[in-house]
Amino acid sequence: MSKFRTKSKKKSVISTSSLPDIVFLLLFFFMMTATIRSNQDQQEIIEPKAHAITKVDQKNLIRELTIGKARDRRFGDQEIIMDKDGPIAIDDLVQWTLEQKNTLPEYQKPQMIVMIRADKHVKMGLISDIQEELRKANTRKVLYRSRDEPRP
Amino acid sequence: MRKTAEAPEINAGSMADIAFLLLIFFLVTTTILQEKGLMLKLPPEQNLEPVKINERNIFKILINSNNQFLVEGEIRKDLNGLRGEIETFVMNNGHNPRLSDNPEEAIVSIKTSRGTDYGQFITALDETKAAYYGIYGRRVGMTGDEFRQLDLRDPMSKRLYQKGKDGIPMNISIAEPEKTKS
Repeated sequence: MSKFRTKSKKKSVISTSSLPDIVFLLLFFFMMTATIRSNQDQQEIIEPKAHAITKVDQKNLIRELTIGKARDRRFGDQEIIMDKDGPIAIDDLVQWTLEQKNTLPEYQKPQMIVMIRADKHVKMGLISDIQEELRKANTRKVLYRSRDEPRP
Repeated sequence: MRKTAEAPEINAGSMADIAFLLLIFFLVTTTILQEKGLMLKLPPEQNLEPVKINERNIFKILINSNNQFLVEGEIRKDLNGLRGEIETFVMNNGHNPRLSDNPEEAIVSIKTSRGTDYGQFITALDETKAAYYGIYGRRVGMTGDEFRQLDLRDPMSKRLYQKGKDGIPMNISIAEPEKTKS
């Protein structure tokens, strides 16, 4: 009879000591793959939806321009152009493009891609003015950033 | 002298909480860089001599400042069915005298006015690109979506990609908006 009464009094516990390790691993993964949102919220931008979008493999070739109304009313209520460092006047765009080009190695310079992240209510007049400037700077690859929209 | 047999242990349970807190902080403040969008190559700066293009080889999409579409001279409220029309236009190969001579010469022209919304332009560009991807995909026995997602780093996929694209360039012209006369 006593054979069946050998239940140990200690409760079996799952060791949680490796949980921090798992979480830290996740943490490092996200730290590596993500970039800190710097001026994401400085403009009101709702990107248009598109379906036939392509992914760019070489991320280092991309330079971003955001176009939209600034949240900060000091910049007025017109749409402004910004890069990651701040607002850019349309007349300075050629200069900006050339500066950005110089940050790339020589063989990649002609392949620079300018990513236009614009609000869907921005008028095409402004967009085409920007494209005109880009053409002047001979940077002709443009990527219109858009949200993926699944479609039947 | 009494001595406890067990070695003193630091409770590591709260370590997980701290790590989770950090994790959530990073999740909220960061965004994974996404470089997805519609790619387009702008025409070169120097104004070339205007090339004479046969009227039948141009598929015209106009968008006015009220965001209304004019597709091949026809007013549209939306772009339903446009994809199919572009596909028949490009792959016409001279059958219908009003559509393109051959895929190589076919041009889809998207012209906006200065007051057009950017979103509307993207919709038109998206439809056009989807039509082309559909054509490419069909040539290699895939859907347009599958074709678009081919990984070009893989030599096998790259061959398929080139096969699908061969001889049918994606001629999309974005004409400059008309300057407003003031």
